Amino acid sequence: MMASLPTLAEPRHFAIWESALFAALIVASVWAFWRPFGTILRKILASKSDADFHLFPIGRRIRDFVWEVMLQAKVIRERPLPGLAHAFVFWAFCAFALVTLNHCATAFGAAFLDPAEPVSRIYYYIAAVFAAACAIGIFGLFVRRFFARPKWLGELSWGSGLVALLIFLLMVTYLAAFFVQPDSLAARALWWAHTLTLLAFLPVIPHTKHLHLVLSPFTIFLSRGGFSRIPPLSGDEDFGLVAGKDLTRLASLQAYSCVECGRCTEHCPANNTGKLLNPKQIVLGLRGYLNEYSPASEEPLLGKYNAQEAAFQCTTCGACEFQCPVGIEHLPIIIGLRRGAVNTGAWEDDYGAKLFLALERGSNALGMSATERDKFVEKNTLPIFDGTQEYCLWLGCMGAYDPRGREIVLALVRVMRHLGASFGVLRKEKCTGDPVRRLGNDLVFQQLAEANLESMAQNKVKKIVSICPHCVRTIQEDWKEFGAPPAVEHHSEFLARFASQLQPVQDQKRIVFHDPCYLGRYRGVYDQPRQVAALAGDLVEAPRSRERSFCCGAGGGLSFLGEEKGDRVSHVRAAELAATGANVVAAACPFCNTMFQDAFAARGEGAPELMDIAQLVARGLPE
Amino acid sequence: MKIVVAIKQVPDRDAPVRIAPGGKWIDETDLQWAMNEPDAYALEEALQLKEKNGGEVVALSAGPERTGQTIREALAKGADRAIQVVCDDLGTRDALGVAKLLAAAIKPENPDLVLTGLQSEDIGLGQTGVIAAELLGLPHATLILHVEKTDAGVTVKRELEEGWFQSIEMPLPAVLTMQSGGTKLRYATLMGIKRAKTKELKSVTAAELGADAAPVVVLEQIALPKKQKSTQILPGSPKEAAAALIEKLKTEARVL
Repeated sequence: MMASLPTLAEPRHFAIWESALFAALIVASVWAFWRPFGTILRKILASKSDADFHLFPIGRRIRDFVWEVMLQAKVIRERPLPGLAHAFVFWAFCAFALVTLNHCATAFGAAFLDPAEPVSRIYYYIAAVFAAACAIGIFGLFVRRFFARPKWLGELSWGSGLVALLIFLLMVTYLAAFFVQPDSLAARALWWAHTLTLLAFLPVIPHTKHLHLVLSPFTIFLSRGGFSRIPPLSGDEDFGLVAGKDLTRLASLQAYSCVECGRCTEHCPANNTGKLLNPKQIVLGLRGYLNEYSPASEEPLLGKYNAQEAAFQCTTCGACEFQCPVGIEHLPIIIGLRRGAVNTGAWEDDYGAKLFLALERGSNALGMSATERDKFVEKNTLPIFDGTQEYCLWLGCMGAYDPRGREIVLALVRVMRHLGASFGVLRKEKCTGDPVRRLGNDLVFQQLAEANLESMAQNKVKKIVSICPHCVRTIQEDWKEFGAPPAVEHHSEFLARFASQLQPVQDQKRIVFHDPCYLGRYRGVYDQPRQVAALAGDLVEAPRSRERSFCCGAGGGLSFLGEEKGDRVSHVRAAELAATGANVVAAACPFCNTMFQDAFAARGEGAPELMDIAQLVARGLPE
Repeated sequence: MKIVVAIKQVPDRDAPVRIAPGGKWIDETDLQWAMNEPDAYALEEALQLKEKNGGEVVALSAGPERTGQTIREALAKGADRAIQVVCDDLGTRDALGVAKLLAAAIKPENPDLVLTGLQSEDIGLGQTGVIAAELLGLPHATLILHVEKTDAGVTVKRELEEGWFQSIEMPLPAVLTMQSGGTKLRYATLMGIKRAKTKELKSVTAAELGADAAPVVVLEQIALPKKQKSTQILPGSPKEAAAALIEKLKTEARVL
């Protein structure tokens, strides 16, 4: 059957001058590539080393590499059609590795593939299938970028058009060679056309976002991993990302890897509600900075290329980092910029200063007197943790001081009592430090984390359960910098474990569950709160849910920073939740709860009921 | 412009206050300590004056060893150096005794301006700054919200009652006692704390200053305020009761 198929035609013999010319062109092309690329590479390598970088355990890195690079899973999952088109271009490039090598070797009489030989022939056919898919893919991407023009891609760039043309030509010149006579003039012309396209392509790479071709496999392989992992400060002169000298190799590598696809911006709650922050521009800002200044520069990072205002509009919801297909970790960068501004006192904000002062002196982010917590504990006869109970019920600032947060705690207490779980609350609690951690105040964060860790050890706490995903995250991940925190879980995980012992509530409610960022993307907990909420009615899903949930606007310390510019994030999300037609919005975070409470109050009549999942199941308990 | 800011360390507002055995002072074990709030405003005003006019800010505090923590906080927020007057009997000294300590420490510094809070959050006598001014032989003004440097000295904004303010021009050197809330406090930064470690902190004792005076006023006893709630039912018709209520609000509660 194979005999009836066309064979790839290649010129068999090359004149010496032809080989020499080709060799000269290779040298010129590689030189034109290396000159700018070498500069970039030197900037990355001259950046500060990442103090917390460990290559091992390497399994996670290999897994990420296979999943995100080889299989293109993240690219495809987020935008299936363009993602597949991109994947075919990528896979075709991989398939072409040997073809291209052989193609070049032919000019020097060193060809190792023979179109007449069966194995090579099969390989050529496989490459041809990928070439066809790639040509269609790149054409589709070209149409999308130049005609459909989704706004997240930004302004039209000549580079993208040129690269699309070159890739298309590469594929077409390869495919066309199946339909001409071997060793004919046409075959020679196609060979040269293919080769010249290739040699023209190489120098374009370092000047355009196609740099990601070379860098992003490394970026993904070398990424910190986890989610929003904030590196510890190293030494007495490290205050976060203040100037170029503070950029680490990972940060610089990531800055040069950005492919400008705009997925980060598309999902950014700040950008979607009319704020200045654009996560893509944050990364490109760093690139612009590195291009102009050296990585040893003292020039502030927040200035010409990035605005302080933008850095402080981030809710740290992490949608950007979660979506990024090239391994850029936006949160350590954005929080790093905030650290630089706060740790040096450059950030001046009345609300921020008030929050910091409240936590420098007091115990909680709400600026209340600690005796208010004592009164709440006393009035509701909450047992004091003495080391004999199984669970330490962590109240958190919202649970201890906020009226709605307190209701959630009391609902959970009812359920825990019903289940016969033994628990107690600490006599004293300090804020976990979440808002100051995200706002970049390392001084106050360290004080809070250390004081809390000491109190945990003194009270012999082994297991914490909390109603607040922010507390859970900060205790489990962020405190690690200063000691070993006890095990901690969110109440949705606790409740889901005991779901079989809880009564379903039969009153035909339609419930939409809002995934809190710090429970979903940060912790990967999506099913447990749904399992709990489903006890109380029928679940419906919001258009943006689970991994793509849209923030309530409170995270990153922003709930303490006063009025927002543009639309309120909470109003946008509340409208989306209300539009599902659900009569109950189920929340699992006291911050989301308070944000939506305000948003629904602003909407007035007809707003759905707002309840925490603990309150939902507590309704089904006998009085 | 050289400014000395006198700062007191007081029990934190959230700290549970208990009376010490003997009833003459509070039990200081298990207390958290903080910078007296009006003093924090005095420090902030001093730092802003320095930022505008140049010069030096010296933090001064009298008290036991633990006071060092508050002094370092002042250095972290931007004071250039600090003097700690180590004395373990601050609680039993009267305002004159404390003022003597402060004045003795301030005198050799020859500052252009001395700022301190108008009163302390613990015992709240409100006299220390004023007495120190007398001891130093300097003019003073109290309840100051804002200080502006002029060619001749300073113009200060002084708080009066019922929302009135007074503007006063004063020569330098002078002593001002600062009211809270005149400006916005800055937060402590990591960089400030790290830099504070390298700043000069001079430690002197009360004896070295020669200010070991016996108190003129002796504290006899302290007590926690009694919690009491009393309800009064005003008899008579609604009209009579309302009239009686208005009278009581005027004469007893004095809120009308």
